[in-house]
Formats: sequence, structure tokens, C-alpha cells
Amino acid sequence: MADESILTDEFLRQLIDVGEADVLVGVPTYNNAATVGQVVQAIRAGLLKYFPRERAVIVNADGGSRDSTSDLVRGASINDLQHSTDLNALRTLHSISAEYAGGPATGTALRTILASAELLRVSACAVVSPESTTIEPEWIERLLRPVYKGNYDFVTPLYRRHKFDGLLMSNLVYPMTRAFYGKRVREPYAAEFSFSGQLASHFLGQEIWTHEVGQIGTEIALTISAVTGGFRLAQSFLGDKPRADARSADLVDAMRQTVGAMFWSLESNVSLWSANGQSQTIPTLCEGQEVTLEPLRINRKRLFDMFRSGVAELKPVLESILSPVTLGELQGIAALDEDNFTYGDELWARTVYEFAASYHKAVISRDHVVQALAPLYRGRAFTFLVQNREASAEQVEQNIENFCLTCERLKPSLLEMWNGRK
Amino acid sequence: MPTPQDQFWYKDAIIYQVHVRTFFDSNGDGIGDFRGLAQKLDHLQELGVNAVWLMPFFPSPLRDDGYDIADYFSVHSSYGNLDDFKAFLQAAHDRGIRVIVELVLNHTSDQHPWFQESRKSKDNPKRDWYVWSDTDTKYKGVRIIFVDTELSNWAWDPVSKEYYWHRFFSHQPDLNYDNPAVREEMWVVMKFWAEMGVDGFRLDAIPYLVEREGTSCENLPETHAVMRDLRARLDKNYPGKMLLAEANQWPADLRAYFGEGDEFHMAFHFPLMPRMFMGLKLEDRKPITEILKQTPQIPSSCQWCLFLRNHDELTLEMVTDVERDYMYDQYAYDKHMRINVGIRRRLAPLLDNDRRRIELMNGMLMSLPGTPIVYYGDEIGMGDNVYLGDRNGVRTPMQWNGGWNAGFSTADPESLYSPLVLNPVYGYQAVNVESQKRFDHSLLCWMKRILKVRKANPVFGRGSIEFLYPANHRILAYMRQLEKESILVVNNLSSTAQAVELDLSRFKGNIPIEMFGRNIFPRVGDLPYLLTLGPYQFYWFRLRKI
Amino acid sequence: MRDMIVNELTQATQELVREFARFLPRLLVMLIVVLVGWLIAYLVKWVLRSFLRLIKFDKLSEGAGATQLLNKAALPSSTELVSRFAFWTAWLGFVLLGVSALGILGMQEYVTRFFVFLPRLLVALIFLFIGLLAASFFSRAALLWAVNTDMPSPRLLSSAARVLITVFTASAVFEELGLADSTMLLAFAIVLGAVMLGLAIAFGLGGQDLARRFLEARFAKEKQEGKDREDELSPL
Repeated sequence: MADESILTDEFLRQLIDVGEADVLVGVPTYNNAATVGQVVQAIRAGLLKYFPRERAVIVNADGGSRDSTSDLVRGASINDLQHSTDLNALRTLHSISAEYAGGPATGTALRTILASAELLRVSACAVVSPESTTIEPEWIERLLRPVYKGNYDFVTPLYRRHKFDGLLMSNLVYPMTRAFYGKRVREPYAAEFSFSGQLASHFLGQEIWTHEVGQIGTEIALTISAVTGGFRLAQSFLGDKPRADARSADLVDAMRQTVGAMFWSLESNVSLWSANGQSQTIPTLCEGQEVTLEPLRINRKRLFDMFRSGVAELKPVLESILSPVTLGELQGIAALDEDNFTYGDELWARTVYEFAASYHKAVISRDHVVQALAPLYRGRAFTFLVQNREASAEQVEQNIENFCLTCERLKPSLLEMWNGRK
Repeated sequence: MPTPQDQFWYKDAIIYQVHVRTFFDSNGDGIGDFRGLAQKLDHLQELGVNAVWLMPFFPSPLRDDGYDIADYFSVHSSYGNLDDFKAFLQAAHDRGIRVIVELVLNHTSDQHPWFQESRKSKDNPKRDWYVWSDTDTKYKGVRIIFVDTELSNWAWDPVSKEYYWHRFFSHQPDLNYDNPAVREEMWVVMKFWAEMGVDGFRLDAIPYLVEREGTSCENLPETHAVMRDLRARLDKNYPGKMLLAEANQWPADLRAYFGEGDEFHMAFHFPLMPRMFMGLKLEDRKPITEILKQTPQIPSSCQWCLFLRNHDELTLEMVTDVERDYMYDQYAYDKHMRINVGIRRRLAPLLDNDRRRIELMNGMLMSLPGTPIVYYGDEIGMGDNVYLGDRNGVRTPMQWNGGWNAGFSTADPESLYSPLVLNPVYGYQAVNVESQKRFDHSLLCWMKRILKVRKANPVFGRGSIEFLYPANHRILAYMRQLEKESILVVNNLSSTAQAVELDLSRFKGNIPIEMFGRNIFPRVGDLPYLLTLGPYQFYWFRLRKI
Repeated sequence: MRDMIVNELTQATQELVREFARFLPRLLVMLIVVLVGWLIAYLVKWVLRSFLRLIKFDKLSEGAGATQLLNKAALPSSTELVSRFAFWTAWLGFVLLGVSALGILGMQEYVTRFFVFLPRLLVALIFLFIGLLAASFFSRAALLWAVNTDMPSPRLLSSAARVLITVFTASAVFEELGLADSTMLLAFAIVLGAVMLGLAIAFGLGGQDLARRFLEARFAKEKQEGKDREDELSPL
């Protein structure tokens, strides 16, 4: 049943005005006035073009923006109160915006959107990031149509991105979630995704909401929940991923949202991930995923330096997390110079697994475990950048695939560590 | 004339549209006639209508159901003669029912003596009475109206070896209104019937009177000039008669037909009608409020004519492509139901024979601003036969009782002008006047009640309209006001129960009195007025400050 | 004369014996109390030890870094330490109780003072424990933060944090115990002041560029164009 207590009175009032809907597009925001206008207009165009007969609603869960975010969202609604534009809209399109309780947190926003979807009894619901400036109306079709037609319950996106964009995803999050849960979901932490009403109810019933992961890193937890719940998965190509700005490039935050949530989810899913065998692909709709290769100027040296200083300075911390063998190997490669340095697939996989085991045992504060992984990841990123400097799109994908297979192969070692020394 | 000489009688009228052929057969030939119609006037009087609009009954080869006229001064022999008509007219007037007849001005049948003359040769004196051309390239790009049957607006005449212009069927050549003789003759026709005592004229196919090169040949200024001329003459010689325009145009174009109160008295509001059906299926008031927002103000002496269904297809010309596809998918999923650019079904089948929806649509018809028209048979919820050709499926015999030929005629069933509707749901055994008269809960009795309330309140016919826009978009709510009288109408377009909060702050302190049961509802206070409505329910409230 | 001495001697001996006899029951009571106290203290130790084992107190203290300290001091594990401490404290209390039963004047005051002191000791120890835990946690947090934001000398920052918190904890403990509290407070204030001053000078003079960069990254979002010499990569 819907957890109505998380919806404020204002939210509920606006939902009552909507009544019932067939499709819902949720947009979580916090001070996104710069980009949300464009995003919401694209959503509106998409709904009008591809779902003209369906009862549609855009739901904005806002964390308390002090700019004009709410007004921009509300301005996208189509009803008989406005001056008639030259839009030939068959029916009213609601675009509601309200603030959720508690401070700004993506998890709370998502939960609000899920509750709205359940209350309005929608068949298909999509979540779109307010910063996706590259969004096209077609994204709405590609996200919602597979779910609305009733073929799939959960659709994750595929993007056209640069081969070096999203390194954390391709070098850690994707291979690990794939190894653990057996499904090759390329973007498990997605800014845009869609799901069925049934899956929304399932999400709301999960335990994550009472823990910290219900506020930070919820996206991964939801993906994992959909995979472990046996729902029908698919991924759909959307378009270009918007280029990062300085704010979104903060590594530690990103790691908390992905790696932290992923490690946390291992606790409750032990029986599932310990039993999984080889991973399986999921259907890919609307082909078009590409890797672009234009040259980028990246400060690789900085990554290497931070790795080295990380291994040196964090020695006391790493000692309590890693096994002596692994730590010794890391110190060994840290001693190499830049040209000879390489953080191999197997060592990296072992590193991550040992971190996962230490996270499970909580040898030190869990958040510190996640933070300690950041400099090591930088070393890995450096290696990836060097190895794939001249690589083609296929080669890059092949390298990632090889790493994934290594992870899958080494998974039993994690199980040993998990159950092993107390 | 028993009815008072109120020059704005048409604003208070409730019109019953009927074809004499369909109503009642008095002489057993299988075709309804005027004597029969006169016998059934009691039904109309009991129902509560105060005007009847007769579809064309002039002599005609009947290739377009009488809209192809062969003689403007007589009655088709199947329906009787002029004396029968006059007797009917008198009987109607005795019961306080006004009579509106059709005049098809735009074209005649190709069997009309005028055309027979005109086509004889290029030099014939009546040649100029029609629109001839030696090529079929004039007036290029003008749209074809009967798209399912006609390929061109020009037809080749093998007799005089020229093309003649026809906006409708090829056997209906257009008259040439640039010819003063034609205009004069049309006045003579109108005068003939006005003199006899007819109260009003519905003028068919008005936008197409005059043609000009390089235009759409619709709604031209010259056409309006012709009409203003006719109107002036009518007002001068026969005050109190009414002219009703049939012009299937967007509201902005319709405005011109009212002139400055010197052209038509009334015009059909065609664009509203499909949007009422659309709003019902969408469960969203947006289509209805938007078209009425776009409807221009008309002169105070003029009036819109509203209707749910008529003898033609439910036209989808004045909607967008998305809307048209939606209407087809929702209301005419069977291809047999579609004709031209519309849907040829009756009211009850369109609404799935759902009593609640039928009541709601009639409720809106009776409370929106305009003069309502009830199509014969819809007061009992008659069904249709989409397998009859053209639009004949909605023109089946009136179902009076469950007996021989539904009580329509004593003739052999096979000789009737049209087969009866026979299926168990809409057939005459299930749906007929006699059985509905016996039960208080029947649709017929309900129609009588609502007509009574409507007639008792001139605000519906003459008042202003102001829409309320409550947050619940499934509720269509508006205020009707005339001088001190204020009526609140609230309609639930949805199939599920709804709650709505109305902003009645202007009417704070008023007590809403529900108009059918006359029960009082809570007083309007400071807060928005909360109402709850069942599926497809509607309220009419009179607001009184006591 | 001889009779007098013998009489006095006899009297004195009889006094002594009488005193002794009067004293004996009290001694007996004291011994009983001590014995009973020993038993109760042992019970307390056993219960406490089981309880601490249950809540994995060793684990916690490991996190506090206390285990390492204890190991260096060749002391047994924290659970053991706490249980033994509880035992000795409890038994000492009973011993003192017994001693007070002896009725020796002056002892009463000391016994009372001991029992008043006991809760404060407990509180001080809790402070110490929490303080050590916090020092360990925050020093680690500082270390990680400094490493991840590429700050110079992260170890220094980490140690500084640890020292600061430890000193603060120590001064709080001493204040609670009432031992040279003002001295400790003063010492703490001086250390804190010095550290702060040092940081301010360092940050203000030496870390100008760093500060500017830091503030820019935080508040000025549009500084990217033109000055951008490298492309940003999003990790996600």
C-alpha cells in the first residue's frame, strides 16, 4: 500500500487534482532553475507527441529550491485555464511541483515520486534528471513505451558518451553489479530510468528507506532491487549524456552514491549474489549506443600522484581493510614510475572485493571504508586512461568486458572473505 | 397564432427535429405523411417541445433524402398535399408548437424543371440559373464535401456539353446566385411558405451559395449580402419569422452569418457537438471549454442552436487530426460506422446505451447557452442501423409501440420506406414510446421532466455563461445568469465518483437550491464549495440569497 | 611496691583484653564484609565480562584505538581490563566499608570521600573512552579528506586532529576528576590557541592560492570558461 505519510499535504492536494494517470514523468530537483525549464519542455513535447491520448502528469519533487524551479515546472502544464497555445493537446496535461519534507535528498525525492506513481495508479513511470540538457522528446518514448506496452518492468538507459566519461561506472560499478547480481545492466546508476506501477509498489516496500541509502545512492539500490526481485529488465538507448560540470565531478560523493550503496546492498542479498553464476545480458531496445572518441585533455598525472600519495598516507587505514598480500602489491606498484605503472584487472578486482568484505565487517566506520577506496580508484582510472588512449570503441568495450569477466571469476574469493575470518 | 408575438421566441424554443417520412404513416403505404404527423402532435406536446423543424418534404426524386428538390411550391405526394400540410400547421399552432421548414437554397435536384430547362442548351433563358463552365478547372482546390461518393465539384452534362458546379451530389446542381432572377425567385419561395404561416426557415448549405475564383468558395461576402437581402425582406413583410443557418464552420467564421443582427437569427454551433462527445470519453472538460472560449460574441438578438445528433453523420470536419483519430477509435471502431468525415450513429448507441451518459449529455444540451434541438427518437433512446446506405441508419421509422411495424404503419413490413431496427437492445420491442410512457423511470419521462425545468427558466435560453475552472479537470462547471437570476451547473464528465471544490466566493451567502428536487444545499461560505458527484452525474442549482 | 606494679600490670592487661574483646566482633564483621565483598565483586566482574563480550566491546575499543594502546602497554584486552577494574573497585569499596565498621576515627571521612569519588571516576573513564574513540575517528576522517582533496601533508592534519581531541579529552577527564583541573584547562587552551594561530597564519599567508582555489570551486561556478585548461570527466 502507498506510504502516504511521506507526501506532504500540499503534494497530496495536487495529486488529488490529477486523480488518476496512465503515465508519469518524475523530476527530482534542487535549485535547478538553469536547466529544468528546457528539460520539462522536452518532457512535455515528448508526452504530447508520443502519448497524446494518455492521461499524463509531470511530477516535480523539489528539495526546497529558492530559485524559480517550481514555477518553470508548473508552467509546462496544459489546461483550459491558460490562453490556448498552438499546441493541439487532446486533454489536460498536469505538471505539478511540491516540496518534500526533510532536507534535499535525491532518495527522498525518488520515494515521493514512487508514492505519487502508486497513488495515481500509473502504468508506466519515468524519472528524468533535471540536468539532462541533451534530452530530446524521443527519450520519453524510449523510456516509457516498453513499460507502457507491458513488455518490461524496468528500463535503464544507454548513452552516447565519450570513452573516458563515466570511468567509475565502467571500471567499478558496472562490473561489480554485474558480477554480483548476474545481469549486464550497463548503467545501474542512471539519471534517467523507467519502471512499471507494479515495480513502484515493490520499491516502496523495500527496507532501504529507513537507512541512509534511502537518501543517498538510492538509484543503485533500486536497480539492485529490480534485478533481485526478478522483474523484466531492458535497456534503451536515449542519446548524448550531458557533459559534466565541476559539481558533478566530485569523486567521493559519487563513490558514496554508488559504491557505498552497492556495498550496503550486499548485506541483504547474500543468498542471491553468492549463488549467481555467469551474468546474462538484458534486452537492448532502440540500438544506438556509441562511444565517441574525440581527444580530451585530461590531467592524468594528477590521478597518478593522488594514487601514490593515497597509498602512502593511508597506510594505517588500508592496513585494517586490505589483506597484507594485496597491500604489499599495491605498495609495490605505487613505487613504480608513471610509465611502468599499471593497476591490473585482477589486482583491482581483488582490491574491491576486499573492500567489500571489510565494509561488511565494519572494521572501521563504513563511510571511511568507501572514502579510502577513492585514491585507489584513481590509480585504476589512470591505468585505464593510459591503456585506452589510442583504443577504438570496440577495444574499449572489449577491455571493460574482460575486466567484468575477471570480476565474475574472482567472486568466490569474496564469499570466502565474507564468511571467513571473524 | 396562439403563441404570443414575442419576436425572440426562438431564444426560448426547444426544437424537435423530425422528417415527416419517418414519423407516422396514416394511409398504410409504408411512408410517414402529414396527416400522420398531425395525429402524433400530442406526443410532441406532452414531451414539452415548442417548435418542430421539418426536414425537406418538397417533391424530389429522393436521391438525397429530399435535399434534392424538384419543386419548391408543393409537397411530395408520398407525404400528402398542401392541404394536408396546412392542416398540420394549424394543428401545431393550436398546441403552441411553432413550425420550421427547410429551404435548400444552394442547389436543386437535376430533375427540377429549372435545370431541365437550363441544360437544354447554352442559350436557354434559364441557362444562367446554374453555374456552367466549359472546363472543370475553375475554382480549383475547393474541397469536396461528400468525399465518399464524389471525386470532383464539377459534373459533365452530356446534354449541353458543359460542366456544371455541384458542391454536393452530382445530381444536385448549384444555383447561380450571381443571377438576380435566382435571388428573386428564392424570395418568392420564402414568401410562399411564410405567407402560409410557417414560423421559421432552416437554410441548408448556406456557405456555398456564391463562388469566386481563387477562394474556397465558402463564406464569401457576396453570400452574406444575399442573405442580408432576404432577411431584410422577410423582416419587412413577415416580422417574427426566424432564419436558421446550417453552416459547418469554425466559430470565428460562423460569426459572420449573424451579421449585425441583420442576417441569420440562429446558427448551429457545429464545432461544439463533437467536443462534447470527446470530453466525455477523455473525461476532461478541456475540449468543451476551449471551443466555447473561442466562440465569439454574437449580436444580442441572435442565438446559437445546440444539438447532440441530427440526421447527418456526427461531423468531424471541425476537429484536428489527432482529435478525429481519437473520435474514430473511441466511437466508430467499426468501419461501417464511418461516412464522409464523420460517424453515422445515433445518440444512444454512441453512448453505449448508458442511461447516465444519455442524461448527462442532454443535461449539458439543455444548460449550455443556445436553443437545444432534440432529434426525433432520441427522447426514447432509439438505436441505429449502420448497414443501411448513406446516413439512412439514423433515419429509421419512429418506434411507437412493440407491435406491428412498431406502430409506425399498417403496411407490410417489407414495404416500409426503411427497415425497422430489430435487434434485442434497440429494436422496437425494447425501445418504444408506449412502454416508456408507462414507467416513470423511463428516458421519455425523464426528458419530459428536464424539458419542463428548462422551459420554466428563461435564463438557460437567454442568459450569459461564465465558466468556473475547478482544479478537478473532470468537472465542467459554469454559471448561467440573467438579470438577478443565477444558476450554477456542475457536470461530472467522468465514469467514477468525483469531488470538486468550486470557487463561489462571489456568491457568498447564497443558498443553492437543486432545481429538480428543489432541495436546499448548504449555504455558500468563505471556503471553496465542496460538491461530490456520482458517475456522470450533474447538478443544476439556483442560487438564492435569503 | 611490687604489689602495685603487679596490680597495674594486671589492670592494664585486663584493659587490653577488654579492648581486644570489644574490638574482636568488629574485626569479625570486617572480615565477613570483606569476604562477602570479595564474592560480590567477583560476581560483578563475571557478569560485566559476559555483558561486554556480548556487545563485542573489544571490537569497539579496537575502533577506538584503545586495543593498540593496551597492547603496547602489555596490558590485557579491554574487556578483561574493564572487568578487572570493576572487580577491584567493588572489592575496595567493600573493604573500606569493612574498615569503617572497625570504627576507627578518621577513617570514616576517607571512606566517604572514596564513595563520592567513585561516580566521578566512572564518568571520567567514559569521557576518556569516548574521547579516544572520537580522536581516532576524526583523525581518520581528516586523513581521508585530506588525501581525497589533494591537500598537502595529510598525516600532519590527521595527527593534529588526534592530538587536539586527545588533549581536549584529557583536560575534560582531569576536570571531572578534580585533579589539577585548572592547570590542564590552561594547558589545553594554550595548545588550542597555538594550533589555531599557527593554522591561521599558515592558511592566510602560505595557503593563499589554495584558499582561493578552494573558495572558487565552492562558490564561483562560472570561472570555467577561458581558464579551463583541462576537460572535466564525470565519474558516473
